[in-house]
Amino acid sequence: MPSALINIGASGAAVARASLELTAQNIANASNPNYARRTLTQSELVGSATIGLNSADSLGGVRIGGVNRAGSELVQLQARNASSDLERTDALLTGIQNSEVALEQSRLFESLVDFEAALVRLESDPTDATLRTTTLESARQLANTFQLAERSLGDARGLMQSDLTAETTGLQNDLDELARINADIVAARDGSAGLASLLDARDQALRGISEELGVTVTFSPKGAAEVQLAGTPAEVLVSGSVASIFTSTFAADGTASFAINGTAVDPDSGGMAGRAQALEEQANLQTQLDAIAGQVITSANAAQASGVDFGGATGQPLFAGSQASDIALALTSGSQLVTAPAGSPAGSSDTTVLGNLITAIGDGTGPIQNTDTLLLGLSSRTAGVETRREGLTIVSQAAEAQLLQETGVNLDTEAADLVRLQQSFEANGRVIQVAVEVFDTILGLR
Amino acid sequence: MSTVSTSTGAYYSRSLTQMNGLRTSLEDLQTQIATGQRIYRGSQDPAAAARLRTLNRVEVLGDIQQDNAAKLEQDLTFAAEQVGGVADILIRAKELALRGSTDTLGDTARDAIAEELEQLGEELFDRANGLTLTGEPLFAGTASGPAFVRDASGTVTYNGNDDVGAVPVAPGTEIERGVTGRQVFEFDVNGASTDTFAVFGALVDAYRTGGPGVAAAALAQIDGLDAALDTINRNQAVLGTRAAWVEVVQDNQAERDIATAQQRSQVGDTNIADAVARLQQTLTALEASQASFARVSSLTLFNAI
Repeated sequence: MPSALINIGASGAAVARASLELTAQNIANASNPNYARRTLTQSELVGSATIGLNSADSLGGVRIGGVNRAGSELVQLQARNASSDLERTDALLTGIQNSEVALEQSRLFESLVDFEAALVRLESDPTDATLRTTTLESARQLANTFQLAERSLGDARGLMQSDLTAETTGLQNDLDELARINADIVAARDGSAGLASLLDARDQALRGISEELGVTVTFSPKGAAEVQLAGTPAEVLVSGSVASIFTSTFAADGTASFAINGTAVDPDSGGMAGRAQALEEQANLQTQLDAIAGQVITSANAAQASGVDFGGATGQPLFAGSQASDIALALTSGSQLVTAPAGSPAGSSDTTVLGNLITAIGDGTGPIQNTDTLLLGLSSRTAGVETRREGLTIVSQAAEAQLLQETGVNLDTEAADLVRLQQSFEANGRVIQVAVEVFDTILGLR
Repeated sequence: MSTVSTSTGAYYSRSLTQMNGLRTSLEDLQTQIATGQRIYRGSQDPAAAARLRTLNRVEVLGDIQQDNAAKLEQDLTFAAEQVGGVADILIRAKELALRGSTDTLGDTARDAIAEELEQLGEELFDRANGLTLTGEPLFAGTASGPAFVRDASGTVTYNGNDDVGAVPVAPGTEIERGVTGRQVFEFDVNGASTDTFAVFGALVDAYRTGGPGVAAAALAQIDGLDAALDTINRNQAVLGTRAAWVEVVQDNQAERDIATAQQRSQVGDTNIADAVARLQQTLTALEASQASFARVSSLTLFNAI
């Protein structure tokens, strides 16, 4: 019997030591965001046997089960979905915020108003050479501003595109990684610490994937993940140990499209969807900016063509080009500006044509109003997306906190465990000592 | 046993998020106070930003229109001065014509009168070709070059056009630049169209010719001079009314300037008192949450074992 007592004590001490190790592991990983708290499963060990008519139970102590990893599929799912939505809105916000800054800081609206103001000033004295030169310079500044706005918008788009390209590579790495982890999970032994750490890595890869793409995930009984795109069509991203190839391509207008193994897909959420949407908005802004530049060019050149310049010659176009990227001042001297209608003599101070141009630039459908509408639309959109992001941030943080609560390490609990397990280890040691003493008592019988 | 406990990581990340939020709003407030601008990005308040753009445009155009109004007032004053000068000339000419119409004057006296009338005619021609500060003719309409030209035979003809053009001085308000030479110097006498220069020329010719018909010839031009003076007086009134209108517009502009600046300040300026109070409030909140974070996070069971 004493030998059984020693064995019981030894098994208890072993469990206490193994639990202590896991507690130490938990404490060491307290600040590791991908780590899920581990506990040790254990079960009582009882041997029963019947020989002849004598049945006997033999107490065997405790058996170490396996490493149990805290985790909740539901909370994981919530956290993943929340982060998909947040990343999408985040990427979209970055894109349109950059565009907003680009268009506002190029001071396009102010330049158009300056041009209009210069024209109105010229109307007070259309033959004044100084005013003509000032007006011409203000037209030059306007052309430069259009090009600046176009370049800033292009920069914002370039930034978004290189971001998208880099993240595509990162996403593919995550997909490949998850496929490898799936293969390892199948091979890992149940209840082993290795499997727990593979599951940690699996959840990390899944989080990385769902930040970029909204996905639906199904798990095999052992924990291997099968990942499908949440979008149209619902293509398979990772199945078992096979990862699909995710690619992105840019169209001529800068918009992005995605494909999985060559099949074109349209993701519902995630950073990729947000970036694609931002690029679309930027292409749309580009079209509107070009339309405004075209409007300025057309109305200025039409006014020039409808009258005569200071010298009495038929007016030449004020601007060359047709859109924001190529608008340029075409006149070389202020005297070439047309203020008087066709048929007027040289040096006429008639301002009919000038008045028409001022109306065309400044009225309710003119470029100034259109720029204002463009900026108002853009900033309203940005403000809307900002508000949406604030809401999603709260949702995502709540899901994250919930996840940490379920799976994270609480140092106070671990400290209490440390004390408890230490006592348990000491108690088991004491059991062995008692067994030895009992044995010695038997041996010492005279 | 199941327990509800906050994991250490969750506690730290939540505390950090809260303190970051407070810090961000502090920075926002500080930028608002430092720049005096409530809005430095359109998306902070899209409607107010659009309003600011409109106010900005109104302000820029208002400045230009004020300049235009000032220049127009100057031109109108110049024109009124010249027209007033012409009226003086015509009054003097009428005096001379009346004096010359008495038969008692000798030839020398008549020559002297003719001499003075010729000088007055020169002055009349100069005034009719008066220029603005920037060198534009005052009475040529929208045409360039001199308003009146004199040919070799001394006949003066109008060289301008009938279009005076208008200057925008306020939103929707355009005031005509002045009056044309035709309006100032041309009129009808007894149903026949003539001009001040023709009347003057005829008067001078009458005195130069001399002889027994002088008195009658001089008297014959009195009607013309009266008609010329009437025309001048009418135009003086027109110019005076317009100058007064410009002044009214300028007053309105000044008032509108103040109103625009006020609106602008209401829409876009930081309310300093409000911002400072909120800054203080946020500072207190941040300090308190930092202090409580430091105390709570130092509470760990590890200190006790």
